[in-house]
Amino acid sequence: MAEKMVVSTPNPSPQIKKKEKHQGPMFVLKRWNAVAMWSWDVSCDTCAICKHHVMDACLRCQTDGKQEECVVVWGECNHSYHNCCMALWMQHSDKCPLCSSDWIVSRTGK
Amino acid sequence: MFHQEGIKFESKWENIALVAGKVLRQENIKKQEWWDLFQDISNVCNWDEKGAHKIHDELRQLIKQHINQIQESVLSNNDEASLLAAYIREWTRFFQQCNYLPLPFRVVEDAMRNKMAVATMKKDIDQSLIYKLMLQEWNDNIFHSIRDKIHGAAMRLVEMERSGESFDKQLVIGVRESYVNLSTDHTDPLRIYKEHFERKYLESTDNYYKAHASAYLASNGVLNYLKYADAKLAEEELRGKQYLETVKSIKSVELLKECLVRCLVDSFRDQILAECLKLITDNNIEYLRMMFMLIDRVPGAVSAILNHLEDYIYQAGLDDMRQCADTITTDPEKYVEELLKLFNRFSKLVAQAFNSDTRFLTSRDKAYKKVVNDTTVFKLELPTSRATTNKTAPESKCPELLALFCDQLLRKSPLSKKMTPQEIEEKLKNLLLVLKYVQNKDVFMKYHKSHLTRRLILEMSVDSELEENMVEWLRDIGMPVEFVNKLARMFQDIKVSEDLNQRFKENLHDQEPTTADSVNIKILNAAAWSRGSDYVPVALPTELDEYIPSVEEFYKKSHSGRKLQWHHLLSNGTVTFQNAVGTFELEVTTFQMSILFAFNQRPEDQISFESLKLATQLPDTELRRTLFSLVASAKLKLQVLKMSPAVKNAKDFDNSTNFFINQEFGIFRQGKLQKRAKLSLVGRLILTTEKAKKEEEEGIVQLRILRVQEAIVKILKMRKTVNNASLQTELVEILKNMFLPQKKMIKEQIEWLIEHKYMQRDEENINTFIYLA
Ligand SMILES: [Zn+2]
Ligand SMILES: [Zn+2]
Ligand SMILES: [Zn+2]
Repeated sequence: MAEKMVVSTPNPSPQIKKKEKHQGPMFVLKRWNAVAMWSWDVSCDTCAICKHHVMDACLRCQTDGKQEECVVVWGECNHSYHNCCMALWMQHSDKCPLCSSDWIVSRTGK
Repeated sequence: MFHQEGIKFESKWENIALVAGKVLRQENIKKQEWWDLFQDISNVCNWDEKGAHKIHDELRQLIKQHINQIQESVLSNNDEASLLAAYIREWTRFFQQCNYLPLPFRVVEDAMRNKMAVATMKKDIDQSLIYKLMLQEWNDNIFHSIRDKIHGAAMRLVEMERSGESFDKQLVIGVRESYVNLSTDHTDPLRIYKEHFERKYLESTDNYYKAHASAYLASNGVLNYLKYADAKLAEEELRGKQYLETVKSIKSVELLKECLVRCLVDSFRDQILAECLKLITDNNIEYLRMMFMLIDRVPGAVSAILNHLEDYIYQAGLDDMRQCADTITTDPEKYVEELLKLFNRFSKLVAQAFNSDTRFLTSRDKAYKKVVNDTTVFKLELPTSRATTNKTAPESKCPELLALFCDQLLRKSPLSKKMTPQEIEEKLKNLLLVLKYVQNKDVFMKYHKSHLTRRLILEMSVDSELEENMVEWLRDIGMPVEFVNKLARMFQDIKVSEDLNQRFKENLHDQEPTTADSVNIKILNAAAWSRGSDYVPVALPTELDEYIPSVEEFYKKSHSGRKLQWHHLLSNGTVTFQNAVGTFELEVTTFQMSILFAFNQRPEDQISFESLKLATQLPDTELRRTLFSLVASAKLKLQVLKMSPAVKNAKDFDNSTNFFINQEFGIFRQGKLQKRAKLSLVGRLILTTEKAKKEEEEGIVQLRILRVQEAIVKILKMRKTVNNASLQTELVEILKNMFLPQKKMIKEQIEWLIEHKYMQRDEENINTFIYLA
């Protein structure tokens, strides 16, 4: 795979192609649909507050149809939760539910 | 007033009796006589200490005499009609006077009541002692001696009417009225009517039909009998409303109906029901309707028809499925059509014969569900992991076929190409109707999701609006919310990805036309699409390999806290293939692309399996599978890739099997070799690894186990203690939208939960479970 492969231009001219017959590469890429999956970069898959998978929206966002907006928040202790769940939690406590250290947000997912 | 002192009963009674007698006989009396009667009675009561009692006793004698005369004259009639007419005439007259004669005697009553220290201020005539006395005397004398004759005669008239003779209805009605009024019992004013008229009427009706109905049935058969009974019920109800008392306080007509149902329907119930199955099988709507109406009058009897209907639907449905087994097991469209045809057939039957009565709809649903989920025509065996040692029971293939049909409709396919969106929508609605009856909806969900994944990734949906509507329709029929939400999220992801591509390309706009123009990126939510599926390594064409970091870079700019995992298993593309024959556009998976591009450097060479493994970096199983799709595509006459030596199966490749590009490759259309053509090699190639596929199937069983455990814990948490039977019922209720839990699985999971101290058995009753917090 060392040789560089040629990717076709949007409108390859057939005439040029004909001339290139037997000279150009046998297989030329015309189009590629690449697929990637994203997930939150967390060490634990489950939100310890609502017990749901962090990749699923919290229940409230699921019922409100705001799945896209339900992001994850990381604390300085490196624990992570749904941002919505943590916001509710903060109304009662300012400690991390898992390690009880003071909750300081290190970053919020986007 | 003095001169009136000394007025005695004896001096006045003769005159009182004379006038009272005239009143009783309804003879003419002068006004003065009437007023004198009041005066005389009043005087006697005032001045003669025992006057009131004497008057009362003598009046009783007077009434008795009068009644005896009436009795004689009534009984002098020989035929029953004139006897009844005379009785009714005399009674009517007497009853009129009952309201009349007591008036002058009111003082007598007052005097007697004072003595008894009863102060009743009620002046209603039916509270009057004299009124009661009159009725009592009628009752004790005339009624006692001739009542049997009277109602005997009345019932015979009714019977004559039943046999078609006509007579003066008023004769029977008059008797009834006399019985209704002839009451001295305050607590039950209609006692005499009930004991003598109503009872006789019901008895004679019962006797009549006991004889006539069985005779009719014996000589005319059950079907004619249905008509007969139906007609007689209506006829007798109408008759009863004429002859029986219908005031609200009395239930005569209801009692009559019960009596009729008993002797016309219930006594012949078995004979009637014996025809049921045949009527259903013959689709004999008219008689089924009649049978239903009749049998439904007997409390609880309808369940026999329900059972027949259920058996029939199940058997007929199954027979039908078996007969077309050849076509429907291979053609999901035919399968759904056949099931729908059955559904419509049974629904029509229930509507026409049973008025779409809810009990019958429930039976239809029950039986149809059995047909849909039956495993004799199709079987789907779910593989189980080593963790659960025993095989699960076979399941209907129905959900898998439904999902397949759904895909054929929503994908650009030979089927959907022939149809308008409206036609597709109609078929989808049919499919949803059948799906409602599927027990194991989780199997449908699994297949549906993987088909949808293919359609969205390969961009081969026939209509995006239909696709999104389908998600809502699935929600409407009660598919589990988490599942539907995931599907909705998949559509959201596709839209988000389109935006991302747009922005990414705008970002590169000022640069030279690059790879970006031919690359399309989808970045999807891992949880919604394929949680847990493995990363499969593959060598990409260099420019793609070099392109990827710039995408990642760009993605990081608009998002944070996310990690990306490329899923080349799902990615795909189009390559142009040039050989001596011509130029071909091939739609390929990224794995196929990786193999083909390995030949670019040495188009004429043979490359061994082992070398391809190095060049593509594909794992063994994926490399075999992908190579096989290139050397043995079922739809191609000439293959793109050739092998040496040839093998029949992907697992027969060994490291020294050689592969080379078919330089004579071309496409035949109607027998002619084409120099230019487009074709897809992706085909039905499953966009999942063998391992992931197996895991996914095992996953269904694993997921079911998990769901059963969750549900048991949920029930116990709520109930604290629960017995085995209600636990099973509640479990089915909770899980029914996903699957029907098997008894064995439930038992295993209960044991597991006990072992892991989630619950325990009650020490006194092993069938009771207790929640352990
Ligand atoms: Zn949460
Ligand atoms: Zn949320
Ligand atoms: Zn913490």
